[in-house]
Amino acid sequence: MNIENLTQLTQFHVDEQSHIIVNKEICKTCDHLACVTACPANCYTWDEATKLLSVVYENCLECGTCHVICDKGALDWSYPRGGYGVIYRLT
Amino acid sequence: MAKFFDVIIVGAGPAGSLAALKLARAGVKVCLLERGPYPGAKNMFGGLLHHTPVLNDLLPDFTERAPLERHVYKKVMAFLTPTSSVSLSFDNENFDNPPYNGYTVFRPAFDKWLAEQAVNAGALLLCDCTAEDLFRQDGRIAGVTVKGREGELRASIVIAADGVLSFMAQKAGLRQNLEVTTTGVGVKLLLGFPEEMINERFHLVRDQGADISFLGAAGDMRGGGFLYTGRESVSVGLVLHLDSLKASGKTLYDALNDFLQHPQVRKLVKGGMPLEYSAHLIPEGGYRAIPPVFTDGLMVAGDAAGLCYTNGINLEGINLAMTSGGLAAETAIKALKDGDFSARFLSLYKKKLDASFVLRDMKTFKNAAGIMHLERLFQTYPQVLAAFMERMYRNDGTPRSKLLKLARKEAMKEVGLSGLISDGFKIGRSLL
Repeated sequence: MNIENLTQLTQFHVDEQSHIIVNKEICKTCDHLACVTACPANCYTWDEATKLLSVVYENCLECGTCHVICDKGALDWSYPRGGYGVIYRLT
Repeated sequence: MAKFFDVIIVGAGPAGSLAALKLARAGVKVCLLERGPYPGAKNMFGGLLHHTPVLNDLLPDFTERAPLERHVYKKVMAFLTPTSSVSLSFDNENFDNPPYNGYTVFRPAFDKWLAEQAVNAGALLLCDCTAEDLFRQDGRIAGVTVKGREGELRASIVIAADGVLSFMAQKAGLRQNLEVTTTGVGVKLLLGFPEEMINERFHLVRDQGADISFLGAAGDMRGGGFLYTGRESVSVGLVLHLDSLKASGKTLYDALNDFLQHPQVRKLVKGGMPLEYSAHLIPEGGYRAIPPVFTDGLMVAGDAAGLCYTNGINLEGINLAMTSGGLAAETAIKALKDGDFSARFLSLYKKKLDASFVLRDMKTFKNAAGIMHLERLFQTYPQVLAAFMERMYRNDGTPRSKLLKLARKEAMKEVGLSGLISDGFKIGRSLL
C-alpha cells in the first residue's frame, strides 16, 4: 500500500486561493521542520538545496496539525472559505 | 446582510446539531452554520457513536432512522510488540440487545442526518459558511461574521460548536492556541470489504460490530491504534500525541504504514479496498485542559470546549459533545425567557455540565491524561506482557517458575523496581 497517494482517495473542492500562508524566511531558521513529517497529507516539503519550504494546500485535510505543531509563528493557517477544501464522503 | 436570530450555532457537528434540534423544538429562532457543503463533510472520528441518553430522549426512534453501521458487540484490547499481539477480547451477549451500547457510524452520513432532524424541527441550516469572527455589541458577543460575505449574522446568544481548533472560542478570548502536549492527531484509512468477509474475519453475525484498540501500535511513539467494523468496511488508524510525533521525527504515514504492516494487523486488513483517507485533531488534555466554557453572549460545546477524554480504556467525545450541546440549548432557552445573556446567567451552563456525566467522568479520570504521557505504557509494558506470555507457553527444556515470579522477573528486567513503583502509583491513582 502506497501511503503517499492516500490523499488521492479523498475528495476536495479546491479553492483558487490558499488558506495556508507560509513565511518562508522564518522556516529557513526552523530547527525541527515538524510540519513536514507530521502533516498527515504530506502538504509540506523542505528543499535542502534552496532552503525553502513549499506547501501544497490543495491536499490539506484541514486537521490543523501544522497549525498546532509550528512554534515559530511561520504559519498563517485558517479554514478555507465555505464550501471549499476537503469533502469527506464516508469516514 | 444583517440578519437576526435568537441563537446562532457555529458548527453543525454532533454538539451543534443536537443543540439546534433542542432549540428549534422549543420554538427558538436558531441558525446553524456549517463550513462544509453539508454537515459532516469536514468531520472524522475513529468510528464509534456511544449510547447517549440525550439522543434517545430527543429522537427515540433514531435507531430505525439514523444511518448506523453496526452495534458494538465485541470489545478488544490488544497489546502489540513488533512480533506479537496479546489481546483481551470481550464478546458480550448483553451488548447484543437494545438499547445498544454503541454503533459504528460514518460521520458524513450521521452528522448530515442529525442536522436534518434540526432542520425538520425548524432550524435554519446555512452550509458553505465559514465563521470568521465574532460580532460584539454592548460589551457582549452578539453574532458572527462569515468569511467572504458582507455584514454579520446577529443573535442574542452564540454557541461555539466549531470543533477542536475552535477559532470562535479563541476570538472570544476563552482559550489560546492548542498545545502539542495536550493534542493528538488521528489518521484513518477506510477499507471496503464484502459484508460476509467482515463477519467471518471478526467472528460476527448480523449487525454485530467489533471495536479493537491497540496499545504499542506506534513503536516508541505515544499513541494507539484503532479498528472498527462497519457494515461493509473497516476503519483502521492511529492516534498519536503531537509532542511525541514531533520528537520522533517520523512521518505520520510511516507510522501508519508500520502499523498496517504489523503481522497481526496485516491479517485483519488484508484484501481491503482503500476507500477514503482522513485526519483530525483530538483534544487530549482532559479535565485540566478545559477552558472557560461561557462568556457574555457565548457558550462553547463539544470538542471546542475540550470535552473529550481517554483513560486508556474508554475513548469518549461524541457523547460528551451531544450532551453538552443539549445543556447549552437548555441554558439558552432559559436565558431567552429571562432576556439575560450575561456571563453570570450563562454560568448555568457550566453548572449543568458539572452535574452531568460529562464533567463528572472527566473529573473522575482527571489524572488519566497524565498517564497517557508515560512512555513505558506504550512500548515497554506491551513488551513485558508479551515476554511473560511467551515464557509461560514456551517449551525449551528450562525449568518453569511460578507465574508471579515469572511476571516479576520480566517486569524488573525491563522497568526496574523504582519505575514499577512510580508507574504503578500513577496508573493506580488515575484508574483505581
